[in-house]
Amino acid sequence: MPKEGILKKREVDKMTNLENYVQAFCETLEVSEEQLTGLKYQDVPLWDSVGHMNLIARLEEVFDIMMDTDDIIDFSSFEKGKEILGNNYDVVF
Amino acid sequence: MERRLLDGKNIVVTGTARGMGRVMLETFAKNGANVWALARIETQEHLKKCEEISQEYGVEVMPLYAELSDPDAIKTVVNEIRKTKMPVDGLVNNAGITYNALFQMTKMEDLREQFEINFFAPYLLTQYISKMMIRNKKGSIVNISSTAAIDGNSGKSAYGASKAAIIIMTKCISEELANMGVRSNAICPGVTDTDMLSTLPDYIMDIQKEASFLKKIGKPVDIANMAMFLLSDQSSYVTGQVIRVDGGMTSYNKR
Repeated sequence: MPKEGILKKREVDKMTNLENYVQAFCETLEVSEEQLTGLKYQDVPLWDSVGHMNLIARLEEVFDIMMDTDDIIDFSSFEKGKEILGNNYDVVF
Repeated sequence: MERRLLDGKNIVVTGTARGMGRVMLETFAKNGANVWALARIETQEHLKKCEEISQEYGVEVMPLYAELSDPDAIKTVVNEIRKTKMPVDGLVNNAGITYNALFQMTKMEDLREQFEINFFAPYLLTQYISKMMIRNKKGSIVNISSTAAIDGNSGKSAYGASKAAIIIMTKCISEELANMGVRSNAICPGVTDTDMLSTLPDYIMDIQKEASFLKKIGKPVDIANMAMFLLSDQSSYVTGQVIRVDGGMTSYNKR
């Protein structure tokens, strides 16, 4: 039972992280959730270079991380961002 | 109680162990700012000074130590700042090293060292800190350059070039960060009475005084006061500027 409890908690954390990630995109770039799959840098007007920095700043705050410049440059899509946060900053989705 | 110019602001200052940085630390604290006081090496003297200033002016002074030529050390310090969860309102890139050598006598390793400390380190630190400012949609970055970066003097090709680089950085980021509420300006001190100057012979000092309209050498507090203005809301419409604080020395040279 305790094991199951822990697993359930992790599931909740994963949900929260994904929700936070989605929310950061939607609010910063003013897009709907439906637009996120496959969304790439400069696909929408607000994801320009300025929007990118706003998005990074928001994600750093949400996940309490400090991203390296290489990762900020590589952060080229909704999916790539998840990969970077997962692989380099231990954010579990 | 009288309102002070930097009341409630949280400022990061590099190079606070001595010289201009030390005076900036005291000036900002005196005017109500909480200060992260960066220095290269932890010493009892610096720790004590931070504590005294904190007590005297009723603000937080948080000493932090980093070898600025080490990018990992810069990252560690920024993490320490992040952990406080306090918004960063201002950054003063003050730490720097000077170097005098004729162009043909300048070793490449010395040139690289100038750029490591005077340009690469503030560049990286500003990258990190400006992201924290972007989150809050406000901030003021003040870079300490030099009149040597504008005028070009014999023996200053390495130092002047590194300080000129930071002027361009200042101007570029002032445009890039403007619509995120972050301002960026540079101060170019002229000859200023710090430890760096103490090695100069008296006759050189006399020449420098004569070259200034105000007929005197600048004091560190003159630079600190300009930095304080640029950090304050009084300068909210000032960005991308390079401001000489040199007692009118340029004007003299142009006559």
